[in-house]
Amino acid sequence: MEPLAPLQNFLPQVWFCILGLFLFLYVLLDGFDLGVGILSLTASSEERRSILMTSLGNVWDANETWLVLMGGSLFGAFPLAYATILNALYLPAVIMVVGLIFRAVSFEFRENADNKLVWNLLFGVGSFLAALGQGFALGSVFEGIKVDELGHFAGGIWDWLTWRSILVALTLIQGYVLIGSTYLILKTTGELQQTYYKTATIATWTTLAGALFITISTPILSEEHRAQLFSAPLVYVFGAIPLLGLLCIGLLLRSLKRREENTPLIYTFLLFCLSFIGLGFVIFPNIIPPSVTIYEASASPSSLVFMLTFIGFLIPVVLSYNIYNYVVFRGKIIGE
Amino acid sequence: MFMQDILTNTVTLSRIQFALTAIFHMLWPVLTTGMAIYLVIVEGLWLRTKDINYYHHARFWSKLYVLNFGIGVATGLPMAFQFGLNWAPFSEAVGDFFGTVLGFEGTMAFMLEASFLGIMLFGWERVPPIIHWISTILVAIGANLSTFWILTANSWLQTPAGGTFVNGKFIVQDYFQAIANPFMVNSFLHMFFATLETSLFVIGGISAWFILNRRNASFFAKSLKVVLALAVVIAPLQIFIGHLSAEQVYHYQPAKLAAMEAQWETAPAGTPADWSLLAIPNDRLERNDWEIKIPGALSYLLELKPVLDQPVKGLKEWEPRNRPHMVGLIYYSFRIMVGIGLFFAGLMGTTLVQWLRGKLSPESIEEQKWLMRGWIFAAPLGYIAVETGWIVRCVGRQPWIVYGQMRTIESASHIPAGEVLFSLTGLTAMYTVFLMATLYFGSRIIRKGPNLELPAPRTIVTPELNMQPAQHIPDQRPAEAQ
Repeated sequence: MEPLAPLQNFLPQVWFCILGLFLFLYVLLDGFDLGVGILSLTASSEERRSILMTSLGNVWDANETWLVLMGGSLFGAFPLAYATILNALYLPAVIMVVGLIFRAVSFEFRENADNKLVWNLLFGVGSFLAALGQGFALGSVFEGIKVDELGHFAGGIWDWLTWRSILVALTLIQGYVLIGSTYLILKTTGELQQTYYKTATIATWTTLAGALFITISTPILSEEHRAQLFSAPLVYVFGAIPLLGLLCIGLLLRSLKRREENTPLIYTFLLFCLSFIGLGFVIFPNIIPPSVTIYEASASPSSLVFMLTFIGFLIPVVLSYNIYNYVVFRGKIIGE
Repeated sequence: MFMQDILTNTVTLSRIQFALTAIFHMLWPVLTTGMAIYLVIVEGLWLRTKDINYYHHARFWSKLYVLNFGIGVATGLPMAFQFGLNWAPFSEAVGDFFGTVLGFEGTMAFMLEASFLGIMLFGWERVPPIIHWISTILVAIGANLSTFWILTANSWLQTPAGGTFVNGKFIVQDYFQAIANPFMVNSFLHMFFATLETSLFVIGGISAWFILNRRNASFFAKSLKVVLALAVVIAPLQIFIGHLSAEQVYHYQPAKLAAMEAQWETAPAGTPADWSLLAIPNDRLERNDWEIKIPGALSYLLELKPVLDQPVKGLKEWEPRNRPHMVGLIYYSFRIMVGIGLFFAGLMGTTLVQWLRGKLSPESIEEQKWLMRGWIFAAPLGYIAVETGWIVRCVGRQPWIVYGQMRTIESASHIPAGEVLFSLTGLTAMYTVFLMATLYFGSRIIRKGPNLELPAPRTIVTPELNMQPAQHIPDQRPAEAQ
């Protein structure tokens, strides 16, 4: 077993990164999807709402699939984490799934309905619920899940509901609204586009407030995180990320003020990317914070290698055809 | 008291929730996976013959496709998370293999289908026809790959292979052996043909409805003929594969076979075995209260011989805790599935004869009233056959979740029954509404009929990728373009 030891550490790390990538792509892509959905609640006319829905028509399904992909891969690579996290987050997960279901069905039913009101409402509310469920899930994973010595969930059914998870959920919703409105800036024109410049500016400030609060309270409230984050070399990373984040926000606000069309979305992407890297550093090497590591929760090395052979090879392929999809449907959506 | 037992039992509630979500979810993809292949064929016919009717067929049926696809995705989401939510001990024990397969399904199948679906539905004017056709093909491949991986995973539960259980955890020794487990090939083929057959008979039934109502009869005669050309091969082949599957059950899961045939007593080798045609099985008294038997038929069905080479074990051979219950459900589900398969083959045969006699020509097809009524009657039957087939497969596997290795009762998450009851109630209510809404909107699409004025996509003139920025018009998703 001795010569295998480095490999045994390396494989779970690789899978941690792959799952991180899947989750990141999901949050980014379904993020604007859900954000547009939440914004659809505020659309002032049926025509505008139609533009919003059309901007998602060809992509929502693929975007949502990143979540299924991430769920399946988590099941395969870290079965213990898949089981324990979902057990701990039963209610938020159900809220999220119900929200996503509402969204998906209202897409199809709205298209065929004469009275679109119900499905409009269901679409917006579904998007909001999905974002809310995800926010609670993220918040409570971040805060830690109570487990027994075997790594099984040992907490109560309401453990996920704390003031910090509420804060994370609200911030995530702000983030989704931000990314959704910058996506709409890219896809719309005229008066509608002006609306989303305003929305994006407001959402930038609210997201910033939430993110600052989370970033500052993390080392203050958690001794463990404090010890971890303020030890070299992580302290540099932890120092750099907020600074880069602030830089990004500055650039984002400037681009919004200058009414640029493409750059706001790019800066928002970068902002999400930075938050994700930060989150990754806080959680690593755990997969079920605060106590179960990726090494303890991983599937057998042979399983990880087998999955890596196929899924690893497919990731570039999957990415290419997703990009192709966006290329085919690039450009503005115009009203009649 | 009985009701209260159910409502406070996490395992029972989790089982009901899984069965319910699976049964509901199945209704949508079972149509879309098969219909995707049909869409590939009609679009291919359009590209080859340049007959605009086939293009209009592709557009018309894809309206139904997208309606069903969206709901299929939505109702499938709980399936993706349910293993962890409600079956945590199971997920942990078999995650090494089972999770790997689900991961493969996501990366290989779902993503492919979801990404190219956008181009298939909205890309008619944006990509050259050949790229569009390739996208349709990729959607079909994606859909059927997910059938492959799901059936691989489920077959492994039926006939686990490729490793051993050590301390309750499945250790994989050979992944390829686990994937190629004994049931895999037949089960995949049986389900592949089942989705195709279901969607063909749905398409055929809807076409027959138009013909019977004298709306665009010659247009729909074309789709009926495409359906018929495929069904000629598939309906008999499906019966054959079904037969092979039953033989495998006899070999690998004798207790399930005994339940399928309501055999309580063992029929020893060297004797002819009677086959029960109809019966009222009684779980408690371990016998059939009433039955009609056909002497010697079971030995023919299983071994094609007048007397058995191997004994057919009866249910009493197993202790009650080691054999499936709800024998009546398994017994009748099996008979319903087989009956529908035979009916499909018969309908196909009759229609084929009429076709060969020239009765399906545009002039005389409207006269074939009873034949068309037969097709309309057949439209929903495929769904029933698929659902009953899965009931036989999975209720018959009980009490095991992994056959002979892990019990269902040990596999459920230790979560409060109230939590499961909450999600179960919510899902039931939602799914019922979705089913009704799908039927309502589906019938609206059908009653509205095809748009035969739709011009062929203009990109057909310039076979290059349209480099202009997209100018899609809201709510003019091509499925709705009038």
